[in-house]
Amino acid sequence: MAEGWPKKRRLLGTKVKRLDGPAKATGRAKYSYDINRSGMLHGAILRSPYAHAKIKSIDTSAAKKTPGFKALVMILPPRDWLVVKADGDELELKSVPSKKKKEKEEQRSVKVTGGVTILRKNKVVKLADLKADDQVQVEVEQDVVGRELFYAGDEIAAVAADTEEHAKDALRAIRIEFEQLDHIVIEDEVLKNPKKKTTPGPLAGNLDETIKDMTRGDIEAGFKDAEATVEGTYGVPAISHQCLETHGLVAEWDADGGLTVWCSTQATVSTAAGLAGRFGVPPKQVKCITHFMGGGFGSKFGPDVQGFAAADLARRAGAAVKIMLDREEEITSAGNRPSATGTVKIGGKKDGTITAFAVDCYGTPGYIGGATINLGLMPYVYNDAVANMKRSHKVAYTNTGSARAMRAPGHPQNCVLTEFAVDDLAAKLGIDPLIIRRKNLPPNNPKVTDKIAWMARRNDIYNEQLDIAVKLSGWKEKWHPPGKKGGTVKHGIGMALHTWGGFAAGGTTPNECHVFISKDGTATAETSTQDLGTAQRTVTAIVVAEILGLMPTDVIVKLGESLYGFSSGSGGSTTCPSQAPAALFAAQAAREDLFKKVAPKLQADPKDLVIEAGKVVDTKNKKEWLWKEFCARLGMDEAKGKGEWSLALSNEADNANISSGQVGGVQTAEVLVDTETGVVRATHFVAVQDCGLVVDRLTCESQVAGGVIMGINYGLFEQNIFDKWTGRQVNPDMEFYKLGGIRDMPKITVHLQDMPERGVIGVGEPPTISTAAAIGNAVFNALGVRVPFLPISPRRVLDALANGGKQ
Amino acid sequence: MKNFTYHQPTTIAATLPLLDAEWGKTELLAGGTDLLDRQKEYVSQPEKVVSLTGINGPFREISSMPGAAGGPPEVTIGAGVKLISLAESSLLGAYPALASAAAQIAGPQIRNMGTLGGSLCQRNRCWFFRDEHVKCLLKGGRKCYAQDGENEFHAIFTQGHACVIVNPSTLAPPLIALSAIAEIMGPKGKREVAVEKMYQAPVKDTQREHTLAPNEVLVAVRIAPKVPAGGALHNASYEVKQRQTCEWPLIQASVAFHTERGGKVAKGVRVVLGHVAPTPLLSESAARALEGKEVTEAVASAAGEAACEGAKPLSGNAYKVQLLKVAVKRAALLAAGAKPYWEG
Repeated sequence: MAEGWPKKRRLLGTKVKRLDGPAKATGRAKYSYDINRSGMLHGAILRSPYAHAKIKSIDTSAAKKTPGFKALVMILPPRDWLVVKADGDELELKSVPSKKKKEKEEQRSVKVTGGVTILRKNKVVKLADLKADDQVQVEVEQDVVGRELFYAGDEIAAVAADTEEHAKDALRAIRIEFEQLDHIVIEDEVLKNPKKKTTPGPLAGNLDETIKDMTRGDIEAGFKDAEATVEGTYGVPAISHQCLETHGLVAEWDADGGLTVWCSTQATVSTAAGLAGRFGVPPKQVKCITHFMGGGFGSKFGPDVQGFAAADLARRAGAAVKIMLDREEEITSAGNRPSATGTVKIGGKKDGTITAFAVDCYGTPGYIGGATINLGLMPYVYNDAVANMKRSHKVAYTNTGSARAMRAPGHPQNCVLTEFAVDDLAAKLGIDPLIIRRKNLPPNNPKVTDKIAWMARRNDIYNEQLDIAVKLSGWKEKWHPPGKKGGTVKHGIGMALHTWGGFAAGGTTPNECHVFISKDGTATAETSTQDLGTAQRTVTAIVVAEILGLMPTDVIVKLGESLYGFSSGSGGSTTCPSQAPAALFAAQAAREDLFKKVAPKLQADPKDLVIEAGKVVDTKNKKEWLWKEFCARLGMDEAKGKGEWSLALSNEADNANISSGQVGGVQTAEVLVDTETGVVRATHFVAVQDCGLVVDRLTCESQVAGGVIMGINYGLFEQNIFDKWTGRQVNPDMEFYKLGGIRDMPKITVHLQDMPERGVIGVGEPPTISTAAAIGNAVFNALGVRVPFLPISPRRVLDALANGGKQ
Repeated sequence: MKNFTYHQPTTIAATLPLLDAEWGKTELLAGGTDLLDRQKEYVSQPEKVVSLTGINGPFREISSMPGAAGGPPEVTIGAGVKLISLAESSLLGAYPALASAAAQIAGPQIRNMGTLGGSLCQRNRCWFFRDEHVKCLLKGGRKCYAQDGENEFHAIFTQGHACVIVNPSTLAPPLIALSAIAEIMGPKGKREVAVEKMYQAPVKDTQREHTLAPNEVLVAVRIAPKVPAGGALHNASYEVKQRQTCEWPLIQASVAFHTERGGKVAKGVRVVLGHVAPTPLLSESAARALEGKEVTEAVASAAGEAACEGAKPLSGNAYKVQLLKVAVKRAALLAAGAKPYWEG
């Protein structure tokens, strides 16, 4: 059994300021955007201006003559070939024998002209340099002719030049003839004309109706049993991640054929692995560095198109290449949270019991992807308490950029569709929506033997959270039946619940952390994990400092380099629950190593030694040494320890108190709605969050508040708007793609529901899930009229008021 | 952006010969908050940029003289005056319609760079116009894409307008309400024009949102509303914004009028509507609804209704008619000194 978290905690759970806060605030912190290498070139990507088109012809000759031009690549799948024969300007190739044997050998003959690039071992070579059986990559520019482009922003080619401006000039000099094809950019248009096909994939049209309905119980009987039934259509738009630091990187090859990238990524290890695979470089010769990172929210895993393009341009140009997307590219092409629109019918009894729930919904993930909600989790949170349900979901493909995971994928959509319906039902029943929520909370599972586990106590946890939220929000005094009487500006209060995992990362390889103690007393922690802005650097320092009796500022944390051992991508709120335990075990192992190496020199037995703040104590001989004094006895040696953690380890017996998962949360929103203008002002929000063992209370609270802020933007401001006719997004900017500023933000009261016995749980995602649903319900409470679609803009409020909430 | 030559003359006189007689190849640079974006996005691709940032003196100053018959001061504002100065200047105390509008423009960064002249002469914010890949009327195309495309922020007074942009200036409405005069220098010397006459509805790439010739420079704006002896000037602006930070108004209304000594009724009323049409709109019907009356909530509401007369919204912006109604009502009440009923 692992030693686990210290029972007496000096630092864990206290408020520790972000260690890199000053560096970030003053600009000393170097983000990928800030990296400039000697002789570095700037890359830029040519994109489809059309939502759906085919490339008829391409001519790059003028582009290659523009000032400062250095290299050009086509965005095509790479292909390795073996040289059969190089003769004159003819190159005969055959495919590299497949390991799967079954693939047939392919042959290709290429006439080597200006538009053909041959690469061997990541270096451009001439035809004359080739000999039979050389393994090469061959890019024929004209291969892009005929390529179908599926959204405005789809990548075609990339160039590198000596300046950003020259790179753009070169792009603009590429002559392309397009054949414009029909497009559909709005999901409702797909429903009107489901057989029309404008997107890739095997479907006969743009609408996937193959997802199986999910049913439980007897839906008809459930509605018959209901004392009130309401039906409504609710929806959320596709929104952009809007990472403040856009996607991108600097790529540089070294003389030994190794590749280093400074990449804005939430997965240093898999980004490096992706590049190693693509370019045939041994994994340890690819290094991905992410010392600082300006947000990812699920959209920054792997090298991505610009990552491969930058490395490809760099190998051809023989110089480092930087590609950072601009804001328009970031919004149109770097992922989005998919939309969802659903017709929900819900029935219930006066005591609040939901007797039946039916949802029929659809959404668009863009031109490729899959489901846009988690159908199996509907009705959201209350799923396990509702006996009768029917759920169906269709996916409407559109000629827009593809969705990517975004902070709790599927959950915010689920939450809005469910919680709007729940409040509408409460109104129909004439009861406080708090009653309906309490009544339908998922039950505790008495069969679960581990009494600290979520399933054994989730009903109690939610009820306690509701008690706290009710108290902190003043719900009892502030809630009123929907439709505040009198006044132009109406007050409303609303609520919504959420759930999430937050376990350690799965996968076969555990997350690693390494701790080194030097003879001068310095403790250094090394891990390849990345700090997305979540304060992982500070978290690591706190854990190591706690174990070694130091202060967080004493610990040097080196993170965000892929060669510091394995770490998983920061997805699913897994980083802290994977990395904090790894740091814990690394620090404990380093401490044991230190004791083992120094104790003999001090005539002590390692098992008698303990660490207290700033010192090492020999409990048997009643002796003590200052930390530095003790470490000095390492002499020429150093102490070190490695820690590992994973979901599998957390699932082993007695390990659930190291890290675990499954959380609930309750949020309330208070708003003021100007009924003449439709403008909604957020005034006070309460976020109660179950979070296991808190490592850094300050940054954990900040994480929750940040989730609420993101949710307020989802609720009130954000939307990707596509023009039906041009097929283009009209607001790929921060002008009409609206994000609230400081004056739009309310007072946010965060309450962390400490449960240290459950170990560390990740809470990056959950606190953003229920905010928008709570806002929608607060607006409903103010007006007595449902504004069914997000964002709740003046236009939508006025429309809803004008038609009295009828849809 | 496309390469260009850069000039930074130090006087207006030296500026004028640098300008062309036609639009397109030369652009004036004031604060740069609009032009630089357009250049970076290839919406404007001038060969020559003539910066006004080297010009000092009255061009960058606000000056005030006592008004006639003890009325509000006559204020002359150089076109190079920064928005932040308009928002904070003590010389504009009599003109809250202007000062409050300046204070609400965008955020501090923009207000510290942007100028009065830039605000009055900037290009529109239509998302089709701002998209390099959409060739709309104002870029030499044959179609206004907002007419039947996404148009929730476009004009609601659309009669006869081939292009349905809204004029983006938030300072033009209060200045027009205050009967301000624009001072313009050109090859033939100085001319003066009422600010409301400075605007037009453009329909092609050889036109701008304003009526200045390509070789003219707006040098100053003069405010000297006529108020009878012993009377008092009342003025205010009201904007509806979705966000409270860094946001364009969805709708703006500016109202100015005077009362006579001891009187309560509004006289010489001017009501200007912003962000509703390709130009700022001086609403005679709204003014008539206030003229000669004490501005009560009912009278202000009637003015709001009157302001909407003739509105013809597009497919996606009918909501702006309601906003206009409210903005005029609230601006009138603010001008009359009423307590804002819409604040808690």
